[in-house]
Amino acid sequence: MIVSNYKSDVELNLKSKTKYAIETENLNIYYGDHHVIKDVSLSIPEKVVFAIMGPSGCGKSTMLRAFNRLLELNESAKVSGDVKIFGKSIYKMNPIEVRRIVGMVFQHPNPFPHMSIYDNVALGLKLNKLVKSRKELDETVEWALKKAALWDEVKNKLEKPASALSGGQQQRLCIARVVAMKPKVILMDEPTSNLDPISTKKIEELIDELKKEVTIVIVTHSPAQAARVSDYVAFLYLGKLIEVGSTIDMFENPKEKLTEEYLTGRMG
Amino acid sequence: MKREVGHIDTFKYFLLPFCLFVFGLFALMLAVYFSASIPIFQHEGLKIYTTNVWRASENPNKEFYGVLAAIYGSVYTSVLAVLIALPLSISFAVFVIDYAPKKIKEPLIVATDVMAGLPTIIYGIWGAFVLVPILKKYVMDPLYAHLSFIPLFSFKPVTGYSYLSAGVLLGIMVTPFASAIIREAYRSLPFMYREAIYSLGATRYEATKILVKEIKPAIVAGLLLAFGRAIGETVAVSLVIGNTFNISPSLFAPGYTISSLIANQFGNAFIYKYMVSALFAAGLSLFFIGLAVNILGILILRRYGHAR
Repeated sequence: MIVSNYKSDVELNLKSKTKYAIETENLNIYYGDHHVIKDVSLSIPEKVVFAIMGPSGCGKSTMLRAFNRLLELNESAKVSGDVKIFGKSIYKMNPIEVRRIVGMVFQHPNPFPHMSIYDNVALGLKLNKLVKSRKELDETVEWALKKAALWDEVKNKLEKPASALSGGQQQRLCIARVVAMKPKVILMDEPTSNLDPISTKKIEELIDELKKEVTIVIVTHSPAQAARVSDYVAFLYLGKLIEVGSTIDMFENPKEKLTEEYLTGRMG
Repeated sequence: MKREVGHIDTFKYFLLPFCLFVFGLFALMLAVYFSASIPIFQHEGLKIYTTNVWRASENPNKEFYGVLAAIYGSVYTSVLAVLIALPLSISFAVFVIDYAPKKIKEPLIVATDVMAGLPTIIYGIWGAFVLVPILKKYVMDPLYAHLSFIPLFSFKPVTGYSYLSAGVLLGIMVTPFASAIIREAYRSLPFMYREAIYSLGATRYEATKILVKEIKPAIVAGLLLAFGRAIGETVAVSLVIGNTFNISPSLFAPGYTISSLIANQFGNAFIYKYMVSALFAAGLSLFFIGLAVNILGILILRRYGHAR
């Protein structure tokens, strides 16, 4: 009920963009016998920041990993239902293609520690053969590092290993690594949960900047962060989609009791 | 609080004698090797290491020993073993961790641990009766027949007992050791790096390549251990190397290694005045080779550490 209201709401707001970046249809995820995500159907419009919030252990990260088929690294994970990117089922696509279109930033900054800063950004470009020449590679790496607001800090030490950077810088390096591949969607799994407030602010500013060109799906356990960065928000509780809608609406006027309890800090 | 500190200190003093004992034992053993080698150094100087002669004689003045062939053979066969163990152990580690179905993963690991723990004579006999004939028939003979103009293959394989046989056998023997270290390092790579590389659209092969690069220090350590095991191995090598004082670049030539030399000659060495001392000196060279390899390893690891 709520979901369909939200759909029409989004369609009204985004008349010119009828496409959805991501849609899930009756998505169920199991780890062995454990039912983690329960029949979730939602639609994520293009070029917005879409937050998935909920208390720890509610399946947010698991659901996010269904959007780029990264869940398949986990042998015990089983998925039913469908996930579509721009209308196309990801299960009918090559997972490598899916992951090129749908980039991901993780909870722990995870650049490859022994690889240079430059090589970390160049990695995805090389793997997917997205550039034709060394010159184009150089340019794209610089462009991506600028996009990630890291260029000024690292331009003189591109050959240094990534482990020489601070946690916040490493996370921006991970964002640069993803941005370099020019994905259409970026998934962010609690990207600031291990960072200090200043680094967090930088990443949030970055998210605001990036949404002009890509769709961002961010998982967070902090309602405050969802309120700060997102345009739309979905509230997930124990694997169920409780409520979804525009961020302003949900924070001002939650329709479900559980949402209200979560947002006001009585539960979570 | 004070009492707590006191406890810790008492325990420290309790451990100290054990530490001293182990270290002292090592120091004394080394001292024995040095002192026992002195007669041969006085007799012929460093020629013991730089010449290839083995002249035992009732007349001590005519005795002359040079273990260069054995040093050469030890290094040659151990390098071969490491070159063979490198691809085997990395591939095996990756297969066990990434590809082996859950049911056979543990049995595979147990099997390699058993392989590592087998008495080496078992490898030796298998090597002499099975591996050597196979290598001779399917590797040495064809290569010699067609490519004997290449120095590596230039020796006519008569018996099959050769550097190659010893190197291959050693390679098989040390693979479980190298593989165990590489496997554990590969297994303990944080999952977030696996996710990172796959999320960038890597294929399994590309992902494995990147992940294996991240455990380079463990690979170096595993190979150092393998080299140490290979160069120290005695019985198995004695059975397949041919035990000939020979220095040849050819893989198919028979040779000697330091440990097989000592094992073979020790029985009657006491008959001669200088032979025991010569064998101690040979053992000492093994110690120095081990030391050099370990220093080299530390340097490699340190260079890698600096790159962090």
